[in-house]
Amino acid sequence: MSFVSRDMPGIGTKYELDTEDGDRVSIVYMEDEGVQLYVRSGEGDYCSADLTPPEARRIGNVLTGAILETEEEEICMVFSSFADLKIKMHTYKLGDRTAGRTISDLNIRKSTGVTIVAVSRKGESIINPPATFVFERGDSVLVIGNPEQMKNFEEEFVR
Amino acid sequence: MIEGIAIALLVCLVFAGISKKAKFPPIPAYMIAGLLLGAGGLGIVGQNEVSDFLAEAGLLFLLFTMGLELRPDEIYGQGRSFILSGTIDLGINILAGYSVALLIGFPVNDAIVIACAFYISSSAMAVASLIENRKLAAPESDTILWVMVFEDIMLLLIIVFLSSGGKSAAATITTAIVLIFAFFILCYLFSRNISHVLGRYEDLGLLFTFTAVIVAGAVAFLLGIPATLVAIALGSALSLTKPEVLERHAKPFRDVFLVIFFVFFGISVDLSGGFPFVDVILISIAAVISKLVSSLVIGKAMHKNYLSGIEIWSETTARGEFSLAIAATFGNPLVSGTVAVMVLLTSVVGGLMGRYSGRMKRYLKKKKGR
Repeated sequence: MSFVSRDMPGIGTKYELDTEDGDRVSIVYMEDEGVQLYVRSGEGDYCSADLTPPEARRIGNVLTGAILETEEEEICMVFSSFADLKIKMHTYKLGDRTAGRTISDLNIRKSTGVTIVAVSRKGESIINPPATFVFERGDSVLVIGNPEQMKNFEEEFVR
Repeated sequence: MIEGIAIALLVCLVFAGISKKAKFPPIPAYMIAGLLLGAGGLGIVGQNEVSDFLAEAGLLFLLFTMGLELRPDEIYGQGRSFILSGTIDLGINILAGYSVALLIGFPVNDAIVIACAFYISSSAMAVASLIENRKLAAPESDTILWVMVFEDIMLLLIIVFLSSGGKSAAATITTAIVLIFAFFILCYLFSRNISHVLGRYEDLGLLFTFTAVIVAGAVAFLLGIPATLVAIALGSALSLTKPEVLERHAKPFRDVFLVIFFVFFGISVDLSGGFPFVDVILISIAAVISKLVSSLVIGKAMHKNYLSGIEIWSETTARGEFSLAIAATFGNPLVSGTVAVMVLLTSVVGGLMGRYSGRMKRYLKKKKGR
């Protein structure tokens, strides 16, 4: 199970993969930017798509499991060298519950497990805020953690 | 002078828009624009020194970029099937073209030029059609593209052969071979410097590319050998450096100047007053049939399947830029007119077949199944 690559003079390079179930996936990288994706089922049905480079990258991301769900402002990342690890990054808008208190006051790490990576206040971001950082109403935070820790954080500080 | 070129370009711009909308190859559209404007049509635009230079530059850039694709190392690795399919294509079509031209009554010299133009398919239209009609995954598309590469190499030999016709053949061939070797040695020696310039400085690289092509034309003029030949050789030699950068620089020049080449080819052709239309249409029909025969043989040999031959046929029927290049360089007015009509008819037929080859194959499969 590996890609076979072929040079296509005047067009680009073709990569072909035959799956275990007898389907074939062909990807053609064209010299003048752009990718064509072909899938042929075992029965011989063809379908194809003409992709711009950003579209091709997006599909690649989805296929590798790093799904970008921009509408929810959440990224779930899987690294090939840490295959069992599923890290989420999520942004939340904070309300009254945290206003006027510091990160260490709230004991965020200990009680939920997540780490605050950045805080956005009126359009300006503060990366890796110190434990003495004081939240204000309307701050957005970017937190990192596994899905369970993320749930804890939501229950304790956001809702 | 300049107003003629402006009118021609404006008409081409409109025609290019229409052909894009209709998803049809633009080459026949440019030629029709030329035929309408030129001596045989309305007679509004004529050739002049400037248009001749721009058209010639279009040819040089075309052949230079073609040369860039001729990478000796990659071709060397292709092996037997490459030689076999290319030779079938060459043998059948050159012979068919030559015989038909002779039968119709062309003298031997003209028949040879016509045979060469008859043989060589349009790479530009094949590539565009394979992408446009989503055929790149099909195994036949690899065969088609490598047949095109074989034809490109043959074009190099055809140019040497045809240009050695007039004066001493040995002198022309020797000059050409020495020059090609010189290019390869120079590119090999300066490969690092050239790659550095091309990889590092966008503006300098662009000027380098343009200068290289124009110098190729000048060298050819000084040595008395065809500029087309020198352009291919230089392109192939420079493929040792950074071919993808050179191609990116040369492509815009090629695409614009080639439009001028196509439209002024149409302008130069006079199809009025006793032009042998019946004969030329017969040649065009033969051109379609002979590619059918060669494609069926290639399909059977490469893919063990005659239906693959139909696919190859549909993509190689269109004659285009290289046939016109041969006619422009070596043909007299009658030969040029003949090749122009052949390119026009085969490219329309080929364009349609490229689009509907899937249906054709399904129909044939059904018939066979019964």
